[in-house]
Amino acid sequence: MTAAPLLQVEDLHVEFSTHGGIVQAVRGVNFSVDSNCTLAIVGESGCGKSVSVQSIMGLIPIPPGRISAGSARLRGREILGSNLIDGRDVRGSEIGMIFQDPMTSLNPTMTIGAQIAEPLQVHRCYGAGRAREEAIRLLDSCRIPEARKRAGQYPFEFSGGMLQRAMIAMAISCKPALLIADEPTTALDVTIQSQILDLMLDLQRETGMAIILITHDLGVVARMADEVAVMYAGKIVEHGSVDDIFYRSAHPYTCGLRSAMPVNDRSRQAELKPIEGRPPDLFSPPPGCGYAPRCPHAMNLCEREHPPEFTSGVGHYSRCWLHHEMSRQRPRELHFRAAAGEGA
Amino acid sequence: MRQGMAWYVCKRLIQGVVTVWFIATATFFAMHNVPGDPLLNDRAMTPAIRANLEARYGLDQPLFNQYLIYLGNLARGDFGISFTQENRQVNDIIREHFPVSATLGILAVLFAAAGGVLWGALTALYRNRMPDYIIMFLVILGISVPSFVVAALSQLGLVTLNNLAGRSLLPVAGWGSVFHMLTPALVLGLSTMAYLTRLMRSSMLEIIDSDFVRTARSKGVPPALIFSRHQLRNAILPVVTVLGPQIAVITTGGFVVELVFAIPGLGRFFVEAVQQLDYTVIMGTTVFYGAFLVLMVIVVDLLYGFIDPRVRLQ
Repeated sequence: MTAAPLLQVEDLHVEFSTHGGIVQAVRGVNFSVDSNCTLAIVGESGCGKSVSVQSIMGLIPIPPGRISAGSARLRGREILGSNLIDGRDVRGSEIGMIFQDPMTSLNPTMTIGAQIAEPLQVHRCYGAGRAREEAIRLLDSCRIPEARKRAGQYPFEFSGGMLQRAMIAMAISCKPALLIADEPTTALDVTIQSQILDLMLDLQRETGMAIILITHDLGVVARMADEVAVMYAGKIVEHGSVDDIFYRSAHPYTCGLRSAMPVNDRSRQAELKPIEGRPPDLFSPPPGCGYAPRCPHAMNLCEREHPPEFTSGVGHYSRCWLHHEMSRQRPRELHFRAAAGEGA
Repeated sequence: MRQGMAWYVCKRLIQGVVTVWFIATATFFAMHNVPGDPLLNDRAMTPAIRANLEARYGLDQPLFNQYLIYLGNLARGDFGISFTQENRQVNDIIREHFPVSATLGILAVLFAAAGGVLWGALTALYRNRMPDYIIMFLVILGISVPSFVVAALSQLGLVTLNNLAGRSLLPVAGWGSVFHMLTPALVLGLSTMAYLTRLMRSSMLEIIDSDFVRTARSKGVPPALIFSRHQLRNAILPVVTVLGPQIAVITTGGFVVELVFAIPGLGRFFVEAVQQLDYTVIMGTTVFYGAFLVLMVIVVDLLYGFIDPRVRLQ
């Protein structure tokens, strides 16, 4: 905790202007990640998890997108907006990124080898031959058989799992300090998922890079993450270590996600409980907690005022009024609303 | 792989020959059904003379025999003798005038392709901003104004320009030097350029926010490289696809421009032969143009395979 964290994101706000008005996709997000550490960002579709990291990487289209506030510092240097440190692009060199759909994320008219070699040529000024040899070595280290032959092939000659390996090889080609994985296994079948996650863990062990993993799969989180940030309606509603999130969930949304997760345990109830309702409209975000309309414990206060961070352990906080001391001591004064009375 | 390529070229060439045979057959039978008679003229002709002449030219034989003779001549590359021009082989007409048309056509296609790709990419990059609006307005003009109007207007413009300069900057008409070619080639390629611009714009818009372009950005590839290596090459594919048929449009549509600019191209013979019922010239130029276009389409398809690896391997 002495030096600045590898990547620190503070108060990030991102909005998109559309025909229907301005969508506030990300509304004040804070997180940080350190070397050798994996931060998982979880949440349902449209909660702003992808937009957060893509805005840090300068990948959201501007306009219609706009980063209206916030900072993202890599080793204490601001990268939000420019992605430059000392005039050099950190993307590809310091931060690598892989995406959800490997089938469309690679250029169909370039060989795999050339695409992996590209960051080396751009950032490390490698010559063509040397970059090609390095690309073959990277493919090999990402466990692609016959790497030399494969490097000369095109994306359409690869399977989905192979393509995701090639994507990883490309993302780590310049030995980045941080790998951002935006739903890396969502488009893959389960056995391939597992291999890809293993590969990422092994690479982390070898290089000590930090990983930001975006997913909506709690199984992946449990397996990969050290820290977890749960996002809802453009905000982080709970943040803590993986054990905090799974065993000491502090936010009703986290609890809801957990009871919607299948468990391979016959002694526990077999039926999954979905979270009823839908996330709020981010054209006009509610003044209070975004989860209040779906929350079984919602109080009147929840709809009026946004909850601040309540700390419930080391590095574990949640944004929920239930943790206000008044709610513990004198719940009546916060006007509990009967969960049953509110048809969600 | 190399062998596969050779086999592919062979296959395409055989298909091309079949297509040309089809064109030749259709032209032959169409010509036979056109009203009129090659021996019909003002001079009085007794039935005996007529029968003699028909026998001399083989016109008294059954239609199928005539067809076989025609095919045999075609296979030897002999298109016959012109009916209206004294002592002139159709082959000579083509040999003399086709290079002019081809030069003009190729230049026009190059203008159209380069311009279309460039303007299309530019409008996509500046979408919904001033450069986009201006170019797209010009594109609509280019598509809707017919080429003879553009040709006449460009001549008028050239005359005014030369007058202002006090000397001849660019020739207004005629054929000979490179300077003679520039204006007509531009005029000839204009509507195709406009069409390709629209096509390029829409395909570029599809590419510009695609996943693999996002990947390239996430690798920190500089914008100029993203444009040339990732966007342009993928966006150009649909443009290359239509290039074959567009070459057809340009080369056969050239006669108007050739007429206005007084260029001794093949297009004039093609059209005049129809008016004068010059059977051999009609059939010869049609079959020749057909063969040329089939060849161009094959060349473009091979080019396409070179650009898109997915096609190459099939």
